[in-house]
Amino acid sequence: MEYRTVKLPEKIDLPTMLDFYPLQTEEWTRVSKFFENLKEGKLTTTKCRDCNAVHWHPRIVCPKCMSDDLEWIELPKEGKLHAFVESIVIPLGMEQESPLLVGVVEVGGLKISTKIDDAKLEDLEVGMDMELKVVKVEDGKQERYWYRFRPKK
Amino acid sequence: MRKVAVVGAGHTKFGKRNAGWRDLVQEAGKLAFESVDNLEPKDIESFFIGAAQPERFAFLTHVAPLAAEMLGIAPRKIIARTELACASGQAAIRYAFASIAAGLTDIAMVVGVEKMFMPNMLEAQSNMTCVLDREWDGVNGLSAPPFFAMCAQRHMIEYGTTREQMALVRVKNQKFASKNPLAQFSGKEFKVEDVISSKPVSPPLCLLDCSGITDGAAAMILVEASLAKKFTDTPMYIIGSGQASIGNLINGLPGLANWDACAIAAKEAYKMAGITADDVDIAEVHDCFTISEIIEYEELGFCRKGEGGRFIEEGQSDIGGKVAVNTRGGLLGMGHPLGATALSQAIELFWQFRGEVPDYRYVDGAEIGLTHNLSGSASVHSIMIYRRG
Repeated sequence: MEYRTVKLPEKIDLPTMLDFYPLQTEEWTRVSKFFENLKEGKLTTTKCRDCNAVHWHPRIVCPKCMSDDLEWIELPKEGKLHAFVESIVIPLGMEQESPLLVGVVEVGGLKISTKIDDAKLEDLEVGMDMELKVVKVEDGKQERYWYRFRPKK
Repeated sequence: MRKVAVVGAGHTKFGKRNAGWRDLVQEAGKLAFESVDNLEPKDIESFFIGAAQPERFAFLTHVAPLAAEMLGIAPRKIIARTELACASGQAAIRYAFASIAAGLTDIAMVVGVEKMFMPNMLEAQSNMTCVLDREWDGVNGLSAPPFFAMCAQRHMIEYGTTREQMALVRVKNQKFASKNPLAQFSGKEFKVEDVISSKPVSPPLCLLDCSGITDGAAAMILVEASLAKKFTDTPMYIIGSGQASIGNLINGLPGLANWDACAIAAKEAYKMAGITADDVDIAEVHDCFTISEIIEYEELGFCRKGEGGRFIEEGQSDIGGKVAVNTRGGLLGMGHPLGATALSQAIELFWQFRGEVPDYRYVDGAEIGLTHNLSGSASVHSIMIYRRG
């Protein structure tokens, strides 16, 4: 048999959404302020001016009272480790994150998930003090920022 | 509300299958039709299919009409695909149940399916990271194994549950799966040491603490109860249903070691069925990880909060104990093709009630059965109660 060969691309770029990080600019989200604050080293979220509920993650509508009169507040830079784990299975696009240490940190009355940097599994224990660390995420197309925590020095 | 009966069931082999998404649908559908008398594809008025991620695993969407066409079904009342991650199949059963109970349709087929093996298994793993809020939790590396590992860590701290107690869940469920030809992991039994010394995945959870990546499908035929005897002498009745959802992001959960939504859903289901937890003879619960089954004993009311570890240790969840749990082999032994799991669980009860399971796992005299699925960050719990016909 003679065939016409149909060439498919040998390599396809990682789809934008599969890098896991949210799109951060005003064009794509109404909480872009969170990422602008993060770039300045501040972990912030929204608080409802009507019912005082503090949200995680930041919102445009308060889920407790449906108010859209929200303000930005800065969360403490320190928190306590509530739970942690080393994930041996590393998702596509996170190959550079090895070991992949993941945890939940109690910060400002919230429980937020985080990658844990600058530590080995054996350094970690529930209840230990953690501090905020901001990372810059580069993919050659856009500059984004994200938060992590590390054991307090 | 009208009564609803399950009259037929089909179940494919679970595992790494040399078959595509639509092959699995056809296998299960054919077996379901063969299990009933007097029913042809043209008689099916409504069609529900539970499928968690066909978009990612098979690059297919709008899958309900695709599957219906595969089975020669042209629904004229209701057709829908349901997605609720690991509980997608139970969502399909529940909507079929609700539709028949409400009088919107009389005869429905429910299919659950997932094709999870892909040429690049890292892609399959990454798909699962979308289940937890991808932008705010998944982004931090949280997928199911690390999430449930943290649940285990908190349960060990708060209630003293031990590594060995978790391993016992796999030992029990594997004992059943080892002799079940439909199971992904049939043909072998494990000891506690095998589980504890298996490859770490997200410590304390090791490979044998985790349910597998699995291909599989299962199908059931549900009808308005007064029609049941036309199709079978031994139907199974749906007598209760309960579902609850609290939060989604980690910060919105009541806790990692307490799954309040499960207790709420159980209370609702027991109330509808007019029973208590003590009346449940046989249960198919969502042991996606060993720790899950322990927490579920507690939240379903089979034992008190914090005593789930002791419950398995004392053999209370084995045949002959307080309630026989996961006699088909559980998600751990059967594998967990997301959309198909709830169907597989319900079919185990169907076969148990009809005396169609082998002696090694037959629960003699079982009248009331429960199926449970959790989904996502254990934020949602879905429960159905079935009764022998």
